[in-house]
Amino acid sequence: MNPSQSRSPRWSATAILLLLLTPVLRAAETASPDATGIRIQSGRPLLEFQPVPSALSYSILGGPSLTQPLAPLPGTLQGFLWTGSDVIGPDSGFFQVQAQSIPTNDIAVVNLLNRLAYGPTPDELERARQMGPDAWIQEQLAPEGIAEDLDTPEPSTEGWRKVTFTGTGSASTLYIYLDGPGDVYLDGLRLVLGASDDGTRPNLLRNGDFETALGSEWVRSPNVSTSARTTDPVKSGAVALHLIDTTGGTTRASSLYQTITPSLSSSQTYTLTYWYYTTASDRNLTLRLSGRGIDSVERLDGRVRGIGTHASDLLNGVGSVTQLRSWHLLRAVESRRQLNEVLRQFFENHFVTEYTKTRDYLDGIGYPNAVAGLPAAQTEFIENRRWQQALLNPGVTFLDLLRISAESPAMIVYLDTVSSRGDRRSDGTYRVANENYARELCELFCFGVDNGYDQEDIVQLSRVWTGWSVELRAPGQEGNPFAPRSTTYKDPSVVTNRNALTNLVGTWSLWYRNTRHDPRSKYIFYNRNPNGSPITSSPRRVPARFGPPWAGRAYGLALTAGGNGTNTLAEGYSVLSHMANQPFTQEFIVVKLCRLFVHDDFQTGYDFTDDVTSPEEELVKAAMLAWENPPGGGPKGQLRHVLRVILDSPTFRSTLASQHKVRSPLEFAVAAVRAFRTQSAEGIPTAVTDGVGLQTMLNRAGRMRLFDRADPDGYPETGPAWISAGTLVERLRFAQAFALRPTLRPGNELDARTSCDPVNLLRTKRPSALSNAGDAADYLLDLLFPAEGPANLAPYRELAIQFLDTADNGITPSPYASLGVGSTAHDQRLRGLVAFLLTTARFQEQ
Amino acid sequence: MTSPRILTRRGFLHHSAALGLGTALATLTDIPFVMQRALAEGGIGKPGPDGRVKKVLFLFLRGANDGINAVIPTGDSAYNTTTRPTLHVPPDPGVDWRTRGPAHFPVAGPNTGTYLRPDGTQLGALALGNQFATLHPSLKFLAPVYNAGHLALLHRVGYPRQSRSHFDSQNYWETGSPRDDLIKDGIFYRAMVESGLTGSNALTGVSFQSSLPLLLRGSKAAMTNISDTSRYNLLGVPNTAAGNLKADRFLAEANRIAAPDRKSREFLNLQYANVARTLETFASINFNQEFLDNEATDGDLPYNLFPTSNNTNGGYAARGNNAAKYVVPTNSYDFFRQLRAAALVLNKTDALVAGTQIDGWDTHSSQGTLNGSHPDLLRRVGWAIYGLRKYFLQNPDQCRWDDLIVVTLSEFGRTTFENDDNGTDHAEASVMFVAGGSIKGYQPGGRSGVFGCSPSDPLPWQTGTAGSMFQTENRYLKRTYDYRSVLGRIFRNHLGSTPEQLQRIIPGYARPADALLAGGIQTADGVRIQAEPDLI
Repeated sequence: MNPSQSRSPRWSATAILLLLLTPVLRAAETASPDATGIRIQSGRPLLEFQPVPSALSYSILGGPSLTQPLAPLPGTLQGFLWTGSDVIGPDSGFFQVQAQSIPTNDIAVVNLLNRLAYGPTPDELERARQMGPDAWIQEQLAPEGIAEDLDTPEPSTEGWRKVTFTGTGSASTLYIYLDGPGDVYLDGLRLVLGASDDGTRPNLLRNGDFETALGSEWVRSPNVSTSARTTDPVKSGAVALHLIDTTGGTTRASSLYQTITPSLSSSQTYTLTYWYYTTASDRNLTLRLSGRGIDSVERLDGRVRGIGTHASDLLNGVGSVTQLRSWHLLRAVESRRQLNEVLRQFFENHFVTEYTKTRDYLDGIGYPNAVAGLPAAQTEFIENRRWQQALLNPGVTFLDLLRISAESPAMIVYLDTVSSRGDRRSDGTYRVANENYARELCELFCFGVDNGYDQEDIVQLSRVWTGWSVELRAPGQEGNPFAPRSTTYKDPSVVTNRNALTNLVGTWSLWYRNTRHDPRSKYIFYNRNPNGSPITSSPRRVPARFGPPWAGRAYGLALTAGGNGTNTLAEGYSVLSHMANQPFTQEFIVVKLCRLFVHDDFQTGYDFTDDVTSPEEELVKAAMLAWENPPGGGPKGQLRHVLRVILDSPTFRSTLASQHKVRSPLEFAVAAVRAFRTQSAEGIPTAVTDGVGLQTMLNRAGRMRLFDRADPDGYPETGPAWISAGTLVERLRFAQAFALRPTLRPGNELDARTSCDPVNLLRTKRPSALSNAGDAADYLLDLLFPAEGPANLAPYRELAIQFLDTADNGITPSPYASLGVGSTAHDQRLRGLVAFLLTTARFQEQ
Repeated sequence: MTSPRILTRRGFLHHSAALGLGTALATLTDIPFVMQRALAEGGIGKPGPDGRVKKVLFLFLRGANDGINAVIPTGDSAYNTTTRPTLHVPPDPGVDWRTRGPAHFPVAGPNTGTYLRPDGTQLGALALGNQFATLHPSLKFLAPVYNAGHLALLHRVGYPRQSRSHFDSQNYWETGSPRDDLIKDGIFYRAMVESGLTGSNALTGVSFQSSLPLLLRGSKAAMTNISDTSRYNLLGVPNTAAGNLKADRFLAEANRIAAPDRKSREFLNLQYANVARTLETFASINFNQEFLDNEATDGDLPYNLFPTSNNTNGGYAARGNNAAKYVVPTNSYDFFRQLRAAALVLNKTDALVAGTQIDGWDTHSSQGTLNGSHPDLLRRVGWAIYGLRKYFLQNPDQCRWDDLIVVTLSEFGRTTFENDDNGTDHAEASVMFVAGGSIKGYQPGGRSGVFGCSPSDPLPWQTGTAGSMFQTENRYLKRTYDYRSVLGRIFRNHLGSTPEQLQRIIPGYARPADALLAGGIQTADGVRIQAEPDLI
């Protein structure tokens, strides 16, 4: 075959492939190391091979013939190139690559953290490994058992924010001022030498805690002269400072300031930390050194911007879409009910709606342009909260979630049901209903495209939804689809324009307007005569490809005329109940869930009756059966049973799933924050975001504007749709900015509040890694590329150590171990490594 | 030393089988990049006899363009205020649409709103000189392009068994393969693979929008999407020249580490390689450069060819901030930035195909008659094609206007009847705009640039309430062209594909049952179509 081979008949080296795995691992069929090259150099064999997933170790066996057992061969492994130690003769020989996998449970745990959660956190990785996959699944499948109160507004006493700013000692005077009249509470001011503050270094500020009366150390310029110590609120000790600025300041003459002694050194790095508490000042608070080596500016908008505040604002109709996204992103980062968050995002994206369309609709019916976004964000929030609550119910079904979507004003507006009419005109003809919702109900929400319906079904279905509109309901009336508009007034004393929408208390909800409904019969999913009229005796039947128990079942739905008045609302609910559990829906939703949890290559349209089968097809069918016949009885479509089948499958738990998916921008950004997020010994998080910086990234890396997707197919689940040179650049920029904060130069694009502190992370989790490059590489690689397997990580490890031991110019050796912990150089070297690892192709995979 | 058997990589076999493509294509992507070009057949990406490389700029009009409201069948009695009570556009009296000749181009002059008559009244539909069709007045800047003979207006374009789902139908346009859900890669992607240049050119196919469209998507070669040209550089570690070098070096080395066989890795590697190549190329282009027309086309001043702010939008600034002097709506600046980037990349780099999209064509309600959402969208298209022509005529570098074809795509047309919301719903056939210096368009005293919108076509436009506008399911405009015939013509006669390549770019192009080449009955649904239009 190969000419050179045939010319040297004495030597016919061959690579024989075999993979030894622990008995429980089921990946053997798909993962065997391919030898990609074998040759003899100076008499020694060189063997190159492709790595296998999750390899713990590789070894090479060999022997002169296949009739004798092959024996381990001595040699050295450099990456995936093995060089034998022994000179071998010119006779034929046989080689075998053996790979040993890491334990299956370790693979399954990482798949869980990457798919049922937004990536591992340092603590969650430890916890899940210890619990094992079964206990972790059990816990996450029952989120109602996980205590959590993230959506509870933060009590005002806990409304203190901590700020950390690292910079140079440009001068020895610290100024504190607002940019206009206002006030703020300050406590716990510390300034220490070094790039971070672990609480052990001496505070260079005097009376930074304001525990003693303000003496000569703190100088009050005239505009802040009424500032005073207070005992409420207080962050630390017994006293805080109430800074009152009457005009606003800019410099020493208009600030509270302290001259630091002994003087700071402009060549050294210092870290300033402080706590502030604010109630109402819409001002910027500045704490800076003269010369701005340290220059901290905080926006005080009167609110503590935590998850709970967002939730409460959104519920009350005063939260913006930015707050909605922050709420969502912060929950993704912080919630312990990770599967609940992943599922809610999945269904929010499945039952997609567009915030902008709701806003424009509300703008068009009377809200002032500037505030129309608030009730629009509220409708998005309320549907999400309903899904979140529904998913806490152990028996939750797909139908439950579908109903929430159908009733949501966001959906009714988004797909034009709000203006769709089918009632009779005065000339006796009927208005033509808008088909938009009917079409997407079939194509995108239930059956999937071209799966069991046709255009005439859409026309028939569209008439069902005529009359589904929206109205602003008073508190307590949200669930009543016939209630009139709210007459609860925000300000009852207003006389003119008392009924302006902005003066009404309430929430938008479903309003059924039966006078707009098309009352005629509807025959949906029926066979039809050539002229298009339904054959009412002939409902369509489930195609043969579904096999038992579905094939051949009639699935027509007849809604005969005769309903009148408000009871025709029931037609819509009949349609939802009917469609929610048809095999088409089961197949479509199961396939989408498998793409979310397992890998991208699941399809609808399998022939479940033929002999050709695959692990994917088998998994889809098993999950559909759990949907159809829930173990333990009860209604069809119980999601936890469906999920259980997927999560218990060998396909999901093995290397058939792991690292085969590309992270979406949402998954990428949240996973980056989570990977570095733990609490230091002082209770300081080692990675933070306020959500806003992540929103910017999501928009840039593929225009992923959460809650505002224009197209009703939702954001793509599959990788290639997200990855091109342009979007990849945005991911790299985000990773670099996130890791390099706060030492990045001014003008940084990323919100200052999205950053990480790898030094503090290592100090908390693996102190030896602060000075040992190998330990740092091991810890970070296991955290960022878990389940890759030590043998596959070896080349990364080598590179990471090289990175740590090389100066910023990329050439000069500069041992990590000799950079002083706490120095800028040390902090920066480690941040550089983090940025490097986050920008690799490997971190795009999950 | 000996060279034994090297095992074929499973990934390659797996992927090429899944793609369902011909062996020739699969083989081409698996051989070393440097060899690909030498082995590629045909002329895509190759300099022609004139030493020039031919290129394509695409515009996808997403949401389905109402073709009847773009190239208007004024000569059809059924186009009236009964079918379209509020959307009907009456013909402009300036030039009688029944007269043979050039397209009517009403010049506004310095004191009149861009889309108004000198007396301040609204323009009507503009005569196209084929004695039947007119142009929506919001497309008035197409008239000079048309009259230069550089524009083909193709009406009644569709495909067999038309899907009325946006997503299906966009997919079918983008994969070039209607009703085939197994084909997952894009028609322009496949054309770029056929060029054999995907491994050696820094750029081949490029889009400027939020994410890479299916048109350019495929797993064996990296096409590029740029959402914002101004952010196309990296930050460093630290952000200094040396720091950048260190970051680049380590990233490149890490991405070279062999990985186990993963579904996504090959694609990621391609895109990372693409990042590195494009970073270098883009550094040399000024994407913010402004380009002024060399003539006062609208009788006012020379306008900016790519309006990206109020001040560069038509005669707005020159006429005392007069909003009536805008040529395009003020919310179209992002689009014109993307369009300019696409033009620059075609003109300044080795890219062969570039494009972007315009969203918002799904005009179910309040479509707008002379002003409003659909007219605003048409204004973008009209000025875009006008501006592209002038840009390439005035600034030829790697691409002259003669080397370029601009083509629009849109998933389907809209209902002949207006609905109760003053809009139109999903329907069938629609319009394609094809422009370029080598188009066989209008000739004075000779041929027309209108294809498919005349009773004297080989397959005539039939008029009246049983005519063309009602011949699909009694409510939709019936097609007489298949979009694949239009694109096929461009791939072969412009880009230079061989017939064999065309078979791979548009699967089954020569299949008689599809009638794409010679016309005839398409067996999928029994509709007769015209042959490949003779537009280039």
